[in-house]
Amino acid sequence: MTRKVLLRYSTQKATEPILASVIKKTEILPNILYAELSTKGGEILLSIDAPDKEVDKTIALFKRKGVEVQEIKRAIELDRDSCFDCGACLSLCPTGALYMTDDKSVELDEDKCIYCELCVPSCPVRALKLSRF
Amino acid sequence: MVPEIGGIGLTKTKVNKSVAEINDRIRRGDAVVVTAEEMVEIVRERGEVAAAKEVDIVTTGTFGAMCSSGAWLNFGHADPPIKMQRVWLNDVEAYAGVAAVDAYIGATQLSETHGFEYGGGHVIEDLIRGKKIDVRAIAYGTDCYPRKELETTITKDDINQAVLCNPRNAYQRYVAATNSRDETIYTYMGTLLPNYGNVTYSGSGSLSPLHNDPNYETIGIGTRIFLGGAQGYIFWEGTQHAPTKTMGTIMTIGNLKEMDARYIRGVTIENYGTSLYVGLGIPIPIINERVAKTTGVSDDEIKTDLTDYGAPRRGRPILREVTYSELKSGKVEINGNEVLVSPLSSLKWAREISGVLKKWIEEKRFFLSQPVEGLSTDQVFKPMKQITAVPFVRNLMTREVVTAKPSDSIASAAKIFAKRNFDHLPIVDAKGRLVGIATSWDIAVAVGTGKKKLSEVLTSKVITATEDEPVDAVARKLEKHKISGVPVINARGELRGILTNQDLSKLLGGRGR
Ligand code: SF4
Ligand code: SF4
Repeated sequence: MTRKVLLRYSTQKATEPILASVIKKTEILPNILYAELSTKGGEILLSIDAPDKEVDKTIALFKRKGVEVQEIKRAIELDRDSCFDCGACLSLCPTGALYMTDDKSVELDEDKCIYCELCVPSCPVRALKLSRF
Repeated sequence: MVPEIGGIGLTKTKVNKSVAEINDRIRRGDAVVVTAEEMVEIVRERGEVAAAKEVDIVTTGTFGAMCSSGAWLNFGHADPPIKMQRVWLNDVEAYAGVAAVDAYIGATQLSETHGFEYGGGHVIEDLIRGKKIDVRAIAYGTDCYPRKELETTITKDDINQAVLCNPRNAYQRYVAATNSRDETIYTYMGTLLPNYGNVTYSGSGSLSPLHNDPNYETIGIGTRIFLGGAQGYIFWEGTQHAPTKTMGTIMTIGNLKEMDARYIRGVTIENYGTSLYVGLGIPIPIINERVAKTTGVSDDEIKTDLTDYGAPRRGRPILREVTYSELKSGKVEINGNEVLVSPLSSLKWAREISGVLKKWIEEKRFFLSQPVEGLSTDQVFKPMKQITAVPFVRNLMTREVVTAKPSDSIASAAKIFAKRNFDHLPIVDAKGRLVGIATSWDIAVAVGTGKKKLSEVLTSKVITATEDEPVDAVARKLEKHKISGVPVINARGELRGILTNQDLSKLLGGRGR
């Protein structure tokens, strides 16, 4: 299962290659959905596709290295029954999670979603639903 | 000018077929029907003459927001009878200024209880789905219609006529929209991100019904069409029909009771309002090679204007021309950046509709009609005649503005606020350019927290206006950002004046409200 975790670094931690060392240790390659680094520290949103236990281990490792870890417990759904593939949502999605296939259907790849919610109110038939759990 | 249907008066063609002949072929089961997308290839490969000989009918399709849509309903008479003066369907008001129990429910009318979430478009969809609709009416009462109030529940089966009747459908093409402002705007062209952050467009390009017969050689009054999953008709040119600008439109009509809610959907356009998505397709009889050629139109050949919806004026600036193939690719270049594109009408559904229409014809369930009259080919779309001048910021703004410099002390600013009765102090640099603004609240807080200089407290992200902006656009800004005034600047960022709610109220007084 793919889980998403938000890492928060402090200034001093940001300079350390934490991500690299965790990857090396766990041998799990996470996807970086977005990263924002500044002199004050930074934020990285990772999507980790691995068995639950492995993800738990990775989270623990980050924590041990002094990184603040927050698991994102949200889900987004595209209701195929009401979606009519108008594409209104497409140009609002910053990550390409919503995309158009060759046959002009609109589809959602949740792994890429950063839950910015821009698409949700733009859907004319309310086919996009975000839930928190 | 109205062309003669069938192209009489136009130059002679090599291939000549009549609608009656084509209908005979449908009846015999040997009519050749292709979709407009398929026709592009056929004409490209074999040329229009061969294509005209081979193909009998080209089917088109579009599925998009068509705000100028609605339905005529007749409820039948109550006992005692009522002459409905005002009527609401699921809290959405319908127009009842006609005979006693006739009403027109328009797609963009909003629910009085649910606002943007439910409107006339949704009522129409719910009617088609056979759902129960709450009807509420009031009247002043007459000798023949004594009743003054009525409440009931109906479905489409309980009422007499339910006729979808749309004053403007199937725009031949439409402009593509983007936004130059530094804030997101919400328009009938969808949500437009700041700084040219995205592009939206509408229309199905090569599948567009009217773009397949832009000379109106076969499309006219009485043309039978696919409308919302049923067979409907064109009964006039649409409002704002502008054929010379390749922006033709049609008025359409059809029996709502026969329609399929897959092709008629009530929608909410974010922070704009409600509308109706209408599925529509026109079969084009290939009566000669001229028509074959126009049905062979490809997305590369259909151009439209990429327009800045950030400008609050009728004459919106055009950035450049784009083709439908660029738009359909999903990305468009603006100032060297690749920008994502949203088609607002569904390309998949448009394709499906052209396919359904093709199938209907092949299964002998749909025959073409010979129009009784053509549609105008030289009609122009006039702007509104206005008899009062629109006020601009320059007409209303206050020019004598007290300003301060960033290096000025908080104490001196506090004195200014104490002496004068206003809430905004624009801060300008040595060259008179606006660098920020301080409000009386900012100053109060600064005094309390022991700040010394204005530069420490000023807000540098300021909502501004320009002198040539219409006052209504600025009033909207104030409302949207919940502020009471804006500094007015020129292109160099120099402060020219200030426009406040007080200035605006002078105008409203003048308007006699
Ligand atoms: S919330 Fe919507 S717009 Fe934002 S990333 Fe997810 S799918 Fe894209
Ligand atoms: S905006 Fe809604 S209906 Fe349109 S493609 Fe996206 S999910 Fe589907």
